[in-house]
Amino acid sequence: MMKLWYKQIVSVVRLEMKKTFFSKRGLWVYLLAFAPVVLYMVHSVYAIRERQHLAQLATEHPISQAAFNDIKTGLSRDQVVEKLGEPYWQRTRYQHIGNEKERSFVFYKYTDGKNDVNYHFEDDKLTWINRRDPDTFPQSQLIFATSFQFYFLRLAIFFGCVGIFVNLFRGEMLDKSLHFYMLTPMRREVLLAGKYFAGLLATAVIFTSSTALQWWAMLWQFERGVIVDFLAGPGWTQFGAYLSVTALACVGYGSIFLAVGLLFRNPIIPTAVVLLWESANPFLPPLLKKTSMIYYLQSLCPVTAPPDKNMPPLINLLISPTEPATTLTAVTCIVLLTLLVLVLASRLARKLEINYSTD
Amino acid sequence: MKNDLITLDNVSRFYGEVLGVNRVTLSLPPGITSLVGPNGAGKTTLMNLMAGLIRPTRGRIRVLGLSPTQSHKLFGLVGYATQFDSFPKGLSGFQFIYSFLRLFGYSNSECKRLANQVIEQVGLSDAAGRKVAGYSKGMRQRIRLAQALAHDPRVLILDEPLNGLDPLVRSETINLFRRYATEGRHVLVSSHVLHEVDMISDQVVLMSGGYVVAEGQIQGVRSEIQERPVKILIHCKQPSMLASKAFEQDYIVEAQLLTEGSGVLIKTRDADRFYRLLNHLALNGIDIEGVTPADDNVNSVYDYLIGDEEKVSP
Repeated sequence: MMKLWYKQIVSVVRLEMKKTFFSKRGLWVYLLAFAPVVLYMVHSVYAIRERQHLAQLATEHPISQAAFNDIKTGLSRDQVVEKLGEPYWQRTRYQHIGNEKERSFVFYKYTDGKNDVNYHFEDDKLTWINRRDPDTFPQSQLIFATSFQFYFLRLAIFFGCVGIFVNLFRGEMLDKSLHFYMLTPMRREVLLAGKYFAGLLATAVIFTSSTALQWWAMLWQFERGVIVDFLAGPGWTQFGAYLSVTALACVGYGSIFLAVGLLFRNPIIPTAVVLLWESANPFLPPLLKKTSMIYYLQSLCPVTAPPDKNMPPLINLLISPTEPATTLTAVTCIVLLTLLVLVLASRLARKLEINYSTD
Repeated sequence: MKNDLITLDNVSRFYGEVLGVNRVTLSLPPGITSLVGPNGAGKTTLMNLMAGLIRPTRGRIRVLGLSPTQSHKLFGLVGYATQFDSFPKGLSGFQFIYSFLRLFGYSNSECKRLANQVIEQVGLSDAAGRKVAGYSKGMRQRIRLAQALAHDPRVLILDEPLNGLDPLVRSETINLFRRYATEGRHVLVSSHVLHEVDMISDQVVLMSGGYVVAEGQIQGVRSEIQERPVKILIHCKQPSMLASKAFEQDYIVEAQLLTEGSGVLIKTRDADRFYRLLNHLALNGIDIEGVTPADDNVNSVYDYLIGDEEKVSP
């Protein structure tokens, strides 16, 4: 019997793969998944070119560190130029404020070959010095963690799973082709399992590839030595953790949206409810937090995303801090939640009728 | 209970407030059974109920002893060609049947063999490599039939299977049904084309407005309609004499001479007695060339039972 079920599941997966991977309806899922890869790549290319540009400028107009250290606010423009030479970039702006006489604002840019140093003059007096650090490795890691947890998990994978898993049943009811499976001696539970695995395979391949490419694109801008050191340290573990969290998100959200596709004719409202629940997670009391998928997924992320500095203090007060779950607890809870949803979905599938005219 | 029957026991199905079928009780033996009725009569609902695609609101169904809810057992025995004109996207005719058979658990080589065999059987070998989406209506009908036949089922349920087929394929398909029926299998066919039903059916189920209005062998059904005189067409050399002799009998309602003078149409309340009279007349010199019952066909029966309000295609 198990052998027959296995054969049937493999056959369903084969049939569904074409639809899930190559349907025109699902192109937006690829866009959601791979948009961050493009952004990381563009950023890396820009950072590399910027670094090369600064190094070239520094070679052509070398400025000592001591000369930079000599520059203090209050100096005149001529004094700055005398110490550092002409800037490699400048801009001047004039402004009238009320009846006051015209004021001038001048910006100079210098470089030590690695960093940009910006000087801001008001009426020829240096009023502000800004040293723009290049992207450092820890900074990039934080950016990656933030984008992964707040965009990739909560939106890209979430909506990607909506697009793929909801359509596994609902899409076929709309196309009036679901009866193809119903005319075979296959248990509905086996059909559900086949469709779930097909959706899981598709989403896991799409989104874990995206995670891997994002990771590679994020690292790309750094020198080889930095990357090798990182990988020799926590690098591979973090990489593995991000891939696992991505796959687990597909496992969890996939089961939920498969059930949504079976239960609801219009998946928009239940999807909005789940999205609201997942988004409200930081504000939920600790016990309720543990009933959302995102809590366990975030607990498994290797780098904690920094809190949003721009969040209004009042909203900040509403956030309920909770200890992240341990890896074992998080994985177990995601798997149990998934199994529970799949069992419920299989009960629905058993009662499913082919009644296209009413859909 | 005999396990070679399809039985429905007081089966009703409602779609919310709308009646699908109501209080249907049937016991169908092997052979070709036609479900006849106009659109909305409940034929497809009844077939979907037997195939377990929908569940009855009330009542009990058994197909060869199996409940249709046991789809994993049922579809080993049942092949269903639905009216739904949608197919999984991107598949060729061969892939469609092959993938379908894979879901039965057959091996790769067995699926290929069975798929090729059944595609040949429905005459689609030349088009097997083409995408189903590009098939004509008749070809789609045939590939659906191939799908129903592919696993060699004991029960074939076919929803309007002859629609869109050209005369040659139609005749081949009818022969196929007959062959299946003579092998002791069930062939359940829905149709609203009555002369077709007459040609192929061993028994008919007449439906109207969700109810079964008559069932059984068509002649049997006709003989049960007592209030309508039976029409019998007699071709003979002396039609006037035959008509006058017939009129002497009290069970003869009408005798109408055919315009070309080749015979007479008799309407009688007692066909058995009239046939005995006919034998007597033949022995006494009236040269009878042919006797044809003129209204023991599905069309007349349907007309008598349901009337003109729901006339089906002749």
